[in-house]
Amino acid sequence: MKNKPLLIERIEGLDLWEKEVELSRNEFLKVSGSIDTNLYYILSGSLRIFIIDESEEHTIRFGYQDNMIASLNSFISEKPSEYFIQAIKKTKIKVIGKKAVMKLIEGSPELQQFWNIALEQIIFQQLEREQDILISSPKERYRRVMERSPQLFQEIPNKYIASYLRMTPETLSRIKKY
Amino acid sequence: MKTNNETVIMDLIEITRINLNQIEKLNLLTTEKLNFKENSEKWSVLECIAHLNIYGDFYLPEIENSIKYAESYKEPFKPGVVGNYFVKLIQPKEDLNKMKTLSKFDPNGSDLDRDILMEFKNQQIRMLDLLSKALTVNLTKAKTAVSISKMIKMRLGDTLKFVVYHNQRHINQANKVSI
Repeated sequence: MKNKPLLIERIEGLDLWEKEVELSRNEFLKVSGSIDTNLYYILSGSLRIFIIDESEEHTIRFGYQDNMIASLNSFISEKPSEYFIQAIKKTKIKVIGKKAVMKLIEGSPELQQFWNIALEQIIFQQLEREQDILISSPKERYRRVMERSPQLFQEIPNKYIASYLRMTPETLSRIKKY
Repeated sequence: MKTNNETVIMDLIEITRINLNQIEKLNLLTTEKLNFKENSEKWSVLECIAHLNIYGDFYLPEIENSIKYAESYKEPFKPGVVGNYFVKLIQPKEDLNKMKTLSKFDPNGSDLDRDILMEFKNQQIRMLDLLSKALTVNLTKAKTAVSISKMIKMRLGDTLKFVVYHNQRHINQANKVSI
């Protein structure tokens, strides 16, 4: 078992979870158009965030067991977002609202520091991701992601990885054979 | 600032999310179960959903068109007389009130394909997009036609409610078949 993030430990310690939600495969935690300012903690299973553009799904991010996940654009802006969040397999999560999270963080310098580091990490990941998307060689895109998050290839079905890497499933399996 | 449209539409988006999740659950059933009819009068799961698809085929383009030519949001949405009547009529109740379906909306088939579920799912993705677009328009002034008569017009806000509640109603019905 991995260590729980500090924030999660504190939420648990103070019993601040609003609820626990169970999703079966393909069920939606969030759909396009909704405002979702919750923070989720994945107890088991995995989720994916995607958008639909001209009937095509584009996978943006994955969440695994022990990860925190949110519809980050909506979490920050408190406005509707186009994100869908869907369970890839049977998934159990815990839910806490933004207000409760912020109140908790503001009351503790230790948590403030934790939160700042978490945000830094997200910015860094987004920069890597931006570079991924701009790189034209599918092979190179694959190599970078493989190096960064090998976990992805163990837990997530090929069709979603392919969507994340902006290539067809056929191209992905061809690259994987090398 | 939160507009009244937001209150109306966020509720409909949330019901649509739950509707979609119900469809994912129904999709786990065997094709045989999906086609099961208690008797010739009652609908199977797939007939319930096919019925919704027929409605969607009519209403989605109606809604899309109405939004395209609608004025921008100005004041809180006011339900109309026609709309209120239909929305109340269709809203799922504890005890599912029986209603008669016109034959043109009766899917009637005992060997339907589960693609019907996929078609419904695609319709809901489109509906979510339309609901987002409807956030910024005048839901009172914009109108759509009504499926039973081209003569009657309904306010866009009422039409959106009607379609989403109607989906909810028949998904509830489908859930009861499968038990």
